[in-house]
Amino acid sequence: MQRSVFSLSLSPSVKRKLVNAGFQFTNDLLHLKPVQLSKEATLSQLEALEVLQAVRKEGGGGDAGASSSLTALDLLQKEQDLRRIVTFSSQLDAALGGGLPVGKTTEICGAPGVGKTQLCLQLAVDVQVPQCFGGIGGQVVYIDTEGSFLLQRVVDIATAAVQHCSLLVEDDEQRVAMTTFTVETILSNTFLVRCHDYVELLAELHLLPDFLSDHPRVRLLVIDSVAFPFRQHFEDLSQRTRLLNGLAQQLIAMATSHNMAVLMTNQMTTRLRGGQSQQVPALGETWGHAPTSRLLLHWAGSRRLAAIFKSPDHTGATVQYQITSEGFRDIDQSEQTHTVQSTASQRDTGH
Amino acid sequence: MVVLREGMCPGLDEALVRDLRAAGITTVEDVVSSDIEELAQRCTVSYKALFAIRRVLLAQHAAFPVSGADLYEELLSSTAILSTGNPSLDKLLDPGLYTGEITELSGGPGSGKSQVCFGVAVHISYQLKQSVIFIDTTGGLTASRLLQMLQAETSNTEEQMAALQRIHIFRLFNVFSLLDCLYGLRGGRLQQACVGGGSVKAVIVDSVSAVIAPLLGGKQNEGMSLMIQVAGVLKTMAKDFNVAALVTNHVTRSVGGEVQPGLGASWSHIPRTRILLERQERAADISHSSVRSATLIKSSRRPCHIREQFDLQWWSRSKEESSGKRKRDETGS
Repeated sequence: MQRSVFSLSLSPSVKRKLVNAGFQFTNDLLHLKPVQLSKEATLSQLEALEVLQAVRKEGGGGDAGASSSLTALDLLQKEQDLRRIVTFSSQLDAALGGGLPVGKTTEICGAPGVGKTQLCLQLAVDVQVPQCFGGIGGQVVYIDTEGSFLLQRVVDIATAAVQHCSLLVEDDEQRVAMTTFTVETILSNTFLVRCHDYVELLAELHLLPDFLSDHPRVRLLVIDSVAFPFRQHFEDLSQRTRLLNGLAQQLIAMATSHNMAVLMTNQMTTRLRGGQSQQVPALGETWGHAPTSRLLLHWAGSRRLAAIFKSPDHTGATVQYQITSEGFRDIDQSEQTHTVQSTASQRDTGH
Repeated sequence: MVVLREGMCPGLDEALVRDLRAAGITTVEDVVSSDIEELAQRCTVSYKALFAIRRVLLAQHAAFPVSGADLYEELLSSTAILSTGNPSLDKLLDPGLYTGEITELSGGPGSGKSQVCFGVAVHISYQLKQSVIFIDTTGGLTASRLLQMLQAETSNTEEQMAALQRIHIFRLFNVFSLLDCLYGLRGGRLQQACVGGGSVKAVIVDSVSAVIAPLLGGKQNEGMSLMIQVAGVLKTMAKDFNVAALVTNHVTRSVGGEVQPGLGASWSHIPRTRILLERQERAADISHSSVRSATLIKSSRRPCHIREQFDLQWWSRSKEESSGKRKRDETGS
């Protein structure tokens, strides 16, 4: 079968000119020279060259597409080489299969105040834990759209993480690593971007690949939240869906090519169905496909629960967690019935 | 529309192409639809020569009829029905994925589309010992899950590794790279992919909507054209190479709150068989049940709207309990 020029990655106006000049299939273009083509299809020489490069890449180069192919075995090895980002909650780590997966997108949904931002801040610190402590020693890009990035909380969480690691020091390697794992370095390895509306957010994501090439150690991208800028200023909902779909593809492409975890937060909304109201993640049904896995944080009485709602490699599970002054933590097994505050204070004195 | 070139058929030399072009005839279509007698006068070529050229061009570009008996013969010899590895789904598909056809799975987030795709890939590569091409456009593919499924099938590590090697993965995140890849496969890379033993029997695209949906709607109409391109190349590839194409699609909610597959009415004609996957609605807000229901919404073989239930755990079950479970599954359905 011949390939239509419409399927080439060119601008629509160029494609229209090609078809008007009678070139409907790529085969017709293969034997042409750029000058000839520019004359026949009334294209500029640069455009003609671009067209021919696109055609040749598709037709002749057998390696261009084949290089992106890999067997599942190769992928397995790649996956095993990538380490996950620990959450400092062993139960959640276990449910996620060892922590937040690198190279995938994860979404955290939940009601206000349930701890979405806290988990984001915790992971922004955790990604920087040196490799000899079981971390991945990366950097983080934190896109804040709600203005909820609290520096004081980051300092709290970072101090607790540094303290936790310093207690674990056993050999020289870890001692050396500790000299560069301080609250100051944690803060300087966090790149904060404040976006006020969806235009700024989309623009930032377009520029991000260049930033990532300059900073190859970035292992985590946090967007807190993706819902906020998209839940206002939209009259045309289908345009919103389209932009969000495009955004999702951009994020997963970045996550794959830069071996980076992408963490987004989403708000909840109420859906009425058959007279019953139900809390569901915002941004609509289609957006639900965007993240690779979805984590649902919710209240059950005074307990905070995290449920894995969607995941390609793990079945659903629910774990209980607490937010302490040190950050996102497991609940003590024996203290399950206690309130969050009392266990928090007990843990504080325990250290 | 194919542009006229010298050497396309005997008698069509450079001078003649130039003359024809001067007369406004640039494509095969122009030659076929023009008045030969008048053209012969304008280009000062013999009528006979032009007539011969037209006949050759027509023969080259025309489709020719095939007798139904031959077609049936070919169908019997070349079509394979690939089991999905799950009895409930097989029952719905009567009784599996047909090669040469496009089968679609649609469903909401977490409804098990990707899991079914993984299960099918593992079943074909391990049980049937054939190669599979898996095109991942959402980043949802994890090899560790494939390994888990294989571990449920066999404890022999070598066999697991061999099966993993028969699954070829492309990770593409926009529609143009998807098209490049599909045309590349169509242009002969499909056969090259089967070097590792076994021929390619299935091409899985998970998900086709992820790359197309961002382009649809609004004022631009390029998205529609690209969608049909994807559909066209998938269809011809499935037919020509006798592979089963399995694609996934998202769902949208109609005004009445009813769930329907995405990508609109034009796409709905593309897959031969469509299945809608749904979570079992429970009273509880979040249920961790792995039971899903599958509804047949388009099929040319079985009456539509048949519903089956199946368990996503099926592919990770261990061998020992499989016989008992199958019995339960049969009584349940």
